Amino acid sequence: MKLSLNWLKEFLAVRHSIAEIVEALTFAGVEVEGVEQRGAELDKVIVAQVDAFEPHPNADRLIVCRINDGSGLPRQIVCGAKNFRAGDKVALALPGAVLPGGVKIKASKLRGIESEGMLCSPRELNLADDAAGLLILPGDAPIGGPLSDIFSPDTIVEVEVTPNRPDLLSHFGIARELAALLDLPAPKLPQIVAGPERSCEDPSSVRLEAPEGCPFYSARLIRGIRVGPSPGWLREKLEAAGLRSINNVVDVTNYVLLELGQPLHAFDVAKIRGGIVVRRANPAEKLLALDGKDYELGLEDVVIADHERALAIGGVMGGEQSGVSATTTDMLLEAAYFNPGFIRRTSRRLGLISDSSFRFERGVDPQAVLFASARATDLLLEVAGGKADESIVIAGSVPDLTGLVEMRPERCTKILGMEVPDSARLLIRLGLKHAGENRWEVPSYRQDLIREEDLIEEVCRMAGIQKIPSRVFGIPTRKSAADRVHDDLMQLRQRLVGLGLFEARSLALVDERSLDFLIEPRPDTLRLRNPLVEDQRILRPSLIPGLIKAAERNFNRGLNSVAIFEIGRVFRVAAAEELLCLSVLLSGERQSKSWNQDAAAFDLFDLKGILKTALRKELVLTRAQATSFAPLVCNVTDGDGQILGRMGQVRPGLAKEIGARGAILVAELTLRMGGTPKTLRYKALDRFPAVTRDVAFFADRELKYQAVLDAFTSAQEPLLADVRLFDLFVDPTGQKVPANKKSMACSLTYRASNRTLTQEEANAAHSRLKSQLVERLGVTLRE
Amino acid sequence: MNDDLQRLQAAALAEIQRADSKIELENLRVKYLGKAGAVSRLSENMRNVPKEDRPRIGKLLNEIRNAVTVALDSRLEALAAEGEAQNLSGVDETLPGTPFRAGGMHPLTLLQDQAVQIMRRLGFALADGPDIETEWHCFDALNTPANHPARNDSDTFYLPDGRLLRTHTSTVQIRTMVANEPPVRVIGPGASYRRDETDATHLNQFNQLEGLYVDRNVSVADLKGTLEYFVRELLGQEVETRLRPHFFPFTEPSFELDIRLPGIQEGKWMELLGCGMVHPAVFEAVNARRGDNAYDPEHWTGFAFGMGLERLAMSLFALPDIRLLIENDQRFLAQFAT
Repeated sequence: MKLSLNWLKEFLAVRHSIAEIVEALTFAGVEVEGVEQRGAELDKVIVAQVDAFEPHPNADRLIVCRINDGSGLPRQIVCGAKNFRAGDKVALALPGAVLPGGVKIKASKLRGIESEGMLCSPRELNLADDAAGLLILPGDAPIGGPLSDIFSPDTIVEVEVTPNRPDLLSHFGIARELAALLDLPAPKLPQIVAGPERSCEDPSSVRLEAPEGCPFYSARLIRGIRVGPSPGWLREKLEAAGLRSINNVVDVTNYVLLELGQPLHAFDVAKIRGGIVVRRANPAEKLLALDGKDYELGLEDVVIADHERALAIGGVMGGEQSGVSATTTDMLLEAAYFNPGFIRRTSRRLGLISDSSFRFERGVDPQAVLFASARATDLLLEVAGGKADESIVIAGSVPDLTGLVEMRPERCTKILGMEVPDSARLLIRLGLKHAGENRWEVPSYRQDLIREEDLIEEVCRMAGIQKIPSRVFGIPTRKSAADRVHDDLMQLRQRLVGLGLFEARSLALVDERSLDFLIEPRPDTLRLRNPLVEDQRILRPSLIPGLIKAAERNFNRGLNSVAIFEIGRVFRVAAAEELLCLSVLLSGERQSKSWNQDAAAFDLFDLKGILKTALRKELVLTRAQATSFAPLVCNVTDGDGQILGRMGQVRPGLAKEIGARGAILVAELTLRMGGTPKTLRYKALDRFPAVTRDVAFFADRELKYQAVLDAFTSAQEPLLADVRLFDLFVDPTGQKVPANKKSMACSLTYRASNRTLTQEEANAAHSRLKSQLVERLGVTLRE
Repeated sequence: MNDDLQRLQAAALAEIQRADSKIELENLRVKYLGKAGAVSRLSENMRNVPKEDRPRIGKLLNEIRNAVTVALDSRLEALAAEGEAQNLSGVDETLPGTPFRAGGMHPLTLLQDQAVQIMRRLGFALADGPDIETEWHCFDALNTPANHPARNDSDTFYLPDGRLLRTHTSTVQIRTMVANEPPVRVIGPGASYRRDETDATHLNQFNQLEGLYVDRNVSVADLKGTLEYFVRELLGQEVETRLRPHFFPFTEPSFELDIRLPGIQEGKWMELLGCGMVHPAVFEAVNARRGDNAYDPEHWTGFAFGMGLERLAMSLFALPDIRLLIENDQRFLAQFAT
């Protein structure tokens, strides 16, 4: 909302600087979004009249104008605008003027024609955003007079009001708040001249059938008005507050909205058939609203209707066909109180937010409805003529929204951590009335003050938050399960980072295509009912799609190697629908070529090794059914046989498609974090030397290394301490190794915990294991 | 004889000292100590030595043999050391180091962890809750009116079963209080979701750090002190802070904490987090769910705060676009690899 400082000063004898006002508003909870000067520095800009104009002889787009600047001598100006007629009054910047944008005006020749100054658009004068044509001034503007007499310098403060403070959505409301904050006399409402002598109920002219949506309705008849342009002062004020002038009647209703915060509506009496009926809309009832759109209404909406049809969407927007137009002579001024809940629902459902609905849905002051009507009537009579009925027709009753709220000073002290001795005075400044004991009567415009804490907040605001002392405490707290998870995860991240990986973070909402990048089938994905965009409909069932996209982005940007991981939640239809997962993606160089090493590309065993090292776990891989995403997929279990997840290699075609130079390896493991930490206990170090013996053999190409390990294990050789595969060789040509065989070599370590092994002991154990290998696997030993 | 022996020893030692290769030393060893060597020949000559002189001469010969052996060995060692030194002196220490891969954590992780560690120093423990939440945890229990716009389909992501993606981590406050009796001091970092268009300053998912402290006699003074400490530890002692009244349904009074830091956002005030005193209606909702009066608002008061990490990261690191944080460009991530 835009506030005009000039307007505020009509209510408030404020001598504070703009900075002080901004600070007061800020610390009152009203966010100041911007401050700008308007109409200032318009020195040497005057009112002038266009006497005549003709096309520029040398330029199609330019016009040469003869201008009356009040000096008695005609002045020639070249301009490019076309929105004026001869006789219009315009703003003339004389040579020497400096416009708000910093443009210096001087006499010059434009395409060979002398131009003694410049005719200005509203934007050039910083009066409005309009830059399409010249600023056309009211007909009564005095020729030769300074423009600043019409557009007096003003400061515009743009504020954002929180939804709990609808009372601040007007100049009067802000003035009232500032008076309380700055301890100034409370602002006075404008004097009413043509107030109604009486109010009466008259169901034939106003019938209220929906009091639950509109508890109170009033209509004042004004006859003999003349609809036309608004006078300068009215236009200026509306424009200062960011509204466009429409006509004098509509402008007055908007003026009162901005002045007092009460939305009003003007009907053309000639278009009302019978009388006004405030009722629920019929199912599928249609209405063409002022914004030119057709709206389909329903039982949950309140409409202002006549005896035949709906005229307006109550509290939201008037109808196109019943509003005031140039031909209107008699009008009905509506001032009503609508129930916030109704307005909010209608506004949301129709997707229609107006200045009116914005205020009604937050809650206007029902006590101020009739005053706003009288104020608008006064202004209408002033700017549009006519005569108001002596009585105002009303229906329903003004809801009593004043309340009693208790505030105990000791409770206030407890919550604020500071005693505020003059809290009562502060509440009184805010318009609350002391109602005995610790009870306070809250004015009807402060519907946000419902319970004790609300009043404490008011005391806090008024006393100044900066006065509250800061207190720090420190209390020992036990580690929670979440703490352990956090610590475990940070440690896991450290290890992965230490192994050369970067941590990625991607969004949880993914597209349909992501389902093509799953290493584990997840048929039941969780989906949003109301996605914002179609490609963010699915809650990610896996982190891998995000990593694939990240890899693709990196490849596209010229990186050849990607080594990333993500730790995050994945979602699925299951009892435990949110799972904490670790995913890793490797592609490109594990080791780059250098003077002392060759390049090496990431492969599945790098991934296996990284995960083993990071997780401090033995990993057992077993081949799973290939998928279209990953033709090489393995289930991953730990040494205890617990399933951890999957890893594999992405289909090479796909890898190429997303820009990888070689293989892409991916893994996704479910993390079970925050378990009891491993107990650390000293174990005696090996005191006696170990003996190593190698064994090399030819085995069938299909034989898995796990079978070799199992063969060794099954021998239950007590002296065997470790097995390490140190060579693996296949030769498809069959020259060095038969094509259907492979050569493997293992280094076996033998050790006894209580003595140094003799060569004989080690040799005996080694031959037992070798024969075990031959017997169980049928391998051929290479001696 | 005596003099001969003296001369022999001197000559041998001198020759050994002069030798500068292993082979020369080996030749000298043969020359003096070998079967046909000088010392050996003298030993064989013993039979010509008068009987009474034999023990003395024998001893002398032994001494010479030992001296020559020691000299040979130590010269050999010295030569080896010289050789090693010579080998290493050829190393070009300006060659590049072996390139190992360097990784790094995501800047948001680092920021989040820093924040967590600071709050832990004050005695806050971590707490957690799911991303998929019920409307009760996300709105009802947090005193959000039934017709509040935040509940709209246009603002919040819903699942077909009516549950939603939490719009703030304040749900963790509720879950913590429902599960634990007061006092509680927790922080809950986690993802939140808003149905916003993605652009340079908005993501539909962001990370929040939630804080809650409920105890007897918690006041605005504690809130102020805690947050000032937190912000100074996180951003440096030179940071300025101010609390500004604001409105949230679940706190009363409610504030926003602004910070001002030289060199960040042109030194302008910038909004960092929302906070306030836990609204009694929140305690009442928790009590209703618990079926007791454990959080009697008359006896327990508390403060809560919620801070968005992405915005802070953007200001601190001068990021021109919030999407850098989800693109996972390794060149970007490498800048934060600390």
